[in-house]
Amino acid sequence: MGWENLLLGFQVALQPFNLGLAVLGITLGTIIGVLPGLGGANGVAILLPLTFSMNPTSAIILLTSLYWGALFGGAITSILFNIPGEPWSVATTFDGYPMARNGQGGEALTAAFTSSFVGALFSVVLITLFAPLLAEIALKFGPPEFFAIQLLTFSSFIGLGGGNPIKSLVAILIGFILASAGLDIVTGQLRLTFGITELMKGFDFIIAVIGLFGIGEILLSVEEGLAFRGVSARINPTVVWQTWKILPRYYRTFIRSAFIGFWMGFKPGGATPASFMSYAFARRFSRNPERFGQGEIEGVVAPETAAHAAGGASLLPMITLGIPGSPTAAVMLGGLIIWGLQPGPMLFR
Amino acid sequence: MRTADLTTALILIAGGALVIWDSLRLGIGWGTDGPQSGFFPFWLAVLLVGACAAIALQARRRASRAPFITRAQARPVLSTLLPSAGFVLLTQFIGLYVAAMLFMGFYMRWFGRYGWIPVALLSVLFPVLTFVVFEKWFLVPMPKGPLEAWLGY
Repeated sequence: MGWENLLLGFQVALQPFNLGLAVLGITLGTIIGVLPGLGGANGVAILLPLTFSMNPTSAIILLTSLYWGALFGGAITSILFNIPGEPWSVATTFDGYPMARNGQGGEALTAAFTSSFVGALFSVVLITLFAPLLAEIALKFGPPEFFAIQLLTFSSFIGLGGGNPIKSLVAILIGFILASAGLDIVTGQLRLTFGITELMKGFDFIIAVIGLFGIGEILLSVEEGLAFRGVSARINPTVVWQTWKILPRYYRTFIRSAFIGFWMGFKPGGATPASFMSYAFARRFSRNPERFGQGEIEGVVAPETAAHAAGGASLLPMITLGIPGSPTAAVMLGGLIIWGLQPGPMLFR
Repeated sequence: MRTADLTTALILIAGGALVIWDSLRLGIGWGTDGPQSGFFPFWLAVLLVGACAAIALQARRRASRAPFITRAQARPVLSTLLPSAGFVLLTQFIGLYVAAMLFMGFYMRWFGRYGWIPVALLSVLFPVLTFVVFEKWFLVPMPKGPLEAWLGY
């Protein structure tokens, strides 16, 4: 059952038109990921309106490719500029940038994109096999179970948010209050509209994401200044081939990081802790932990594999339960609803 | 940090008070068929006010005196934020496309210090492109102003 779906998915994805869209998405995504201040979530949010005229499958392919491209673009800036483009590429800078400074930039980039591929493929296979199972369980869910899951999600926002937990709570409350504006679907009364007609529909989710998250990120990157101190790297087929010959030695790191990433990816904000945890584990189990931080290739492999496995896994709770596991998944959730697909257990019926 | 925390907390408390006021108008009790319309917003706003009060107390007691933002950092942020706000305001009066043209031209020239040729090219071509994409291709009406009306749209 699961394997047939996986094959069917690959057949659809490998059609020339969809493959072209994927290439376009990855190219755009890489550019977006390299540009500071524009990450996967912003990129998907900006391109979302352009996909409304496509059929949903192609639109999903374009947006997910964009997402992966942005993830990898974040790795490029981490390695060459020591500037993580995304929170989960922070761990990649620990060894990626030293490698680039030692003149091994090409090797680091090869390790990064190979690990991304392994991590992403792993989580795609697992998602396809597990999603129907999880949806099956989710169908038996009633209001108490959904309340429990939502409570867990929002509690982990506060727990994993880092920084001041009260501020995380305030941010969540503002979101709830914004969501309660407009027509009350139970009583039919207008609330918090203060006589403004535009507020009757409430605050649109996409507008909240772009306005609060997107513009905030852009202002933050303007504040930090856009100065680059880059290291140039040469990448050619020989370097790629040489690196590919070493990489199988780290199969343990690959497997361990993929599992860490997939497991952590379920939870909101999972990719960032997954990459750090995977880096820490790789260092712990390494035969020469003292070389970490000075340009160890394993230090690039571990966080990249985990971040990409987590990136895929964060889509799993979104499509089966309707709860997004990452900001990008949240924007895509909006897209799915607009295309007429109601994410949640019923999607699998 | 202290001033920034205190100001944000006070603004949010004012916002919370507004929500509480509107919820009281709708009724915050339990009606015959379940919670009244003001029930959820009321308790959310009460929690918000409480959390903000806690932040304000924390800030008063032990926040660092380090500045939230330095003058050198504030300059680029404001020079991005203010034109963007102006762009949104202008959109109401002269339409999205003309406002986008003015905003891009101004921002590229003033903040990016590009030459006049790329400024003119991009700030004209981009709005024209979005116009074609939204109005012609997707048939999504966007806010339009006198220029579009003069052109017959």
